[in-house]
Amino acid sequence: MLRIKSMHMKDFGAFKGEQSFELPAEEGVSIFYGENMRGKTTLLNAFRFALIGKIIGRGRREVSFHDMINWEARGEGARTFEVRLELTHAGADYRLTRTCRPRPGTDDPERHDDYVTDYYLERGGHILSPQQAALELERILPEQIARFFLFDGELLQEYEDLLHSDTDIGRKISQAIERILGLPTLTKSRDSLKAALDRAESRVALAAQGDQKTREFGNQLQSLVEEREVLTKDLFRQEKDLEELRGRKAAIEDDMRRRERMAALLDKRDRLAGEVKVLEDAVTAKKEEVSRAMGHAWSAVIRDRLATAVESHRATEAELQSAVTRAQVLKELADGDSQACPTCLQTVSAEAQEKIRAEIPGGGDRSASDDQRELATVRRRLDALGEQLARTNPESLRLLWSDLEARRRDIYAKNGEIEEIGKQLSGNEEDELKGLRREYESVVRQIAALEDGVTDTGVKLAANATYRDKIQKRLDQLAGGQMDSERKIRDMASRLHDLFKESVDVYREQLRHRVEADASRYFRKLTTEPEYAGLRINDSYGLTIVHRDGSDIPVRSAGAEHVVALSLVAALQNNAQLRGPIVIDSPFGRLDGGHRAKIVETLPDMADQVIVLVYEEELPPARAREALKGRLRGEWALERQTARHTRLVQK
Amino acid sequence: MAPDKATDKKTVGITSANERVLGALVAEGLFGSEIEAAKFAMARAIDNGVERGTVEGAETKWNVGSLDPDGALKAVVQALYPEETMPYRLVEHLMNEGLRSFDTGDSLPPDVAGVLYSIGRPTS
Repeated sequence: MLRIKSMHMKDFGAFKGEQSFELPAEEGVSIFYGENMRGKTTLLNAFRFALIGKIIGRGRREVSFHDMINWEARGEGARTFEVRLELTHAGADYRLTRTCRPRPGTDDPERHDDYVTDYYLERGGHILSPQQAALELERILPEQIARFFLFDGELLQEYEDLLHSDTDIGRKISQAIERILGLPTLTKSRDSLKAALDRAESRVALAAQGDQKTREFGNQLQSLVEEREVLTKDLFRQEKDLEELRGRKAAIEDDMRRRERMAALLDKRDRLAGEVKVLEDAVTAKKEEVSRAMGHAWSAVIRDRLATAVESHRATEAELQSAVTRAQVLKELADGDSQACPTCLQTVSAEAQEKIRAEIPGGGDRSASDDQRELATVRRRLDALGEQLARTNPESLRLLWSDLEARRRDIYAKNGEIEEIGKQLSGNEEDELKGLRREYESVVRQIAALEDGVTDTGVKLAANATYRDKIQKRLDQLAGGQMDSERKIRDMASRLHDLFKESVDVYREQLRHRVEADASRYFRKLTTEPEYAGLRINDSYGLTIVHRDGSDIPVRSAGAEHVVALSLVAALQNNAQLRGPIVIDSPFGRLDGGHRAKIVETLPDMADQVIVLVYEEELPPARAREALKGRLRGEWALERQTARHTRLVQK
Repeated sequence: MAPDKATDKKTVGITSANERVLGALVAEGLFGSEIEAAKFAMARAIDNGVERGTVEGAETKWNVGSLDPDGALKAVVQALYPEETMPYRLVEHLMNEGLRSFDTGDSLPPDVAGVLYSIGRPTS
């Protein structure tokens, strides 16, 4: 059991100057109270920095070391920060000191990369060499295990990945869980026995080659053993490459998730750019349509005047037509071409004819021809007016223009959005994300190819094993007593390998059941819902809430996620080969009073040493004291000195 | 030599000041040619109730054969201005007046859409 005895900080975040605290040696809970922005998360990061050298901010992004030097101290010339932990593990005392300082040759550090970190580890008062220190740290608290003991709200997101075992991040976390639970000890033994079996088979083949009776089969077995070695090496290399690629894929997925917002912006920008292109093409086509229609737009503008002119010309036409007709009739009567009046059909007398002739000016010819010419002119104009009027369609023109304008406005709005998105993106980020996406696609392709390769090699190895098995049987029939000892060794190695192979699966299953049982036990303690009976674990350690009627609860609230995650953390602690403290930042954020009370009561059972970072409204000190009683081992307050200076005070 | 104002014109011109407006009008109104844009300007002048008149300082731009190949323009102008005896001189006047009315003095493009949207609505 790893236990933290004390912490000492120098200019770390809000903790200006040198500040330290000692945690009680007894099992129980230590609470640090601090309002928002006083440095609770910074304190969690101080543990993280000391243990694994990382500082994690929102969105699980690593925080720049430059920003972690206390601002006031930096203003006063400080360029370094440091965290020291005193620990005990398996009866030994350790002191782990990790320091961040400017990279050699950097006079004026400004960015994360301008800093380097180093650490040294003392055991029993003796400083270990860097190699020893690295090995010792990996032994007492490896990074993959430490992640499950430094717990904040964002661990929930990682936990969520466990529910989707098809993701590489989920697989990676499952592996980390199995590491914490000690499975690698067994898998390494299984692999060692496989190597021993391979060697034993090789020795059997060599022995068989030395005998005339079995030489031929010995030769065949030897070549199959050699082939197996090549195939095994291939498989090992492929699996190693695959593991690395899956790790890289998980890291890219993680990185891409952190850049989700930017990725969404880039996708939106590309979508908008595509839409703008479509709109621009539509506008070009629409402009041609408008251009054709605008040829007659002038007629539309004066449509009312054209219509009025048509009316007046029609009246004139009627008048002129009447005058021309009258003149024609009178002339016919005057000339005597017609004997009867066309109106009353009475015969026109000679006297009347004379009278008509007298009344027609100029004998009637000139006036009639003028009217006829004028009538022709009016009709020509009427034709022209009619033709222009027929071409006018202002409504159609307006629709065309409206449509064109609407598309232009759409383009303008979309370009505005693209511009706004552009302001939120920096060129570097965009290039990085594009690079990440390209790399991701490439990695996915490589993984698929390698998986095919692994399957292919596996098939070849299986065929090789079948042949070897047949030859071994023939050899067993043919061989004399000189091969007995080699065969016995091989048979023993084979049985041991089978035993360990099977035991890995059995142990994995047992572990999952133990984790499930413990997580369920914690869950029942923590939940306020009496109908929830426990949790069901899946192959990748994802947990589902189970109703007392046996059915799964498919959808979980944020609060339920929180309780399930706490249950998992507690169960892992309980089953871990390597056990350590739990440091929890704001464990009650999403939970109601009932859940909070239950969590406080359960905290001491979750680990031997529990360190809780809360604000007083979340967990009032009086309530904590009452709920925890003697198991509350220490209380500290994060007291504001200035906006950039917090002091740790024991209560 | 002073132009002969007793006969109608064989060519129609645009003043240099209006040339710039004509170019802007073609661009803004998506007209297929300057002639179409000039006719649109003429229509606006007619719609605005511009009186008969003549234009000074217009530089020859089009032959009336190109401007009005089928005589429809002449016929329409004569229909709208029956007392006019020199229709192409009036066309020239109206085109220039229309172009001038698009020149608002600022650098804004001619408001073609505004003209189209005001068709059939009472003018203020």
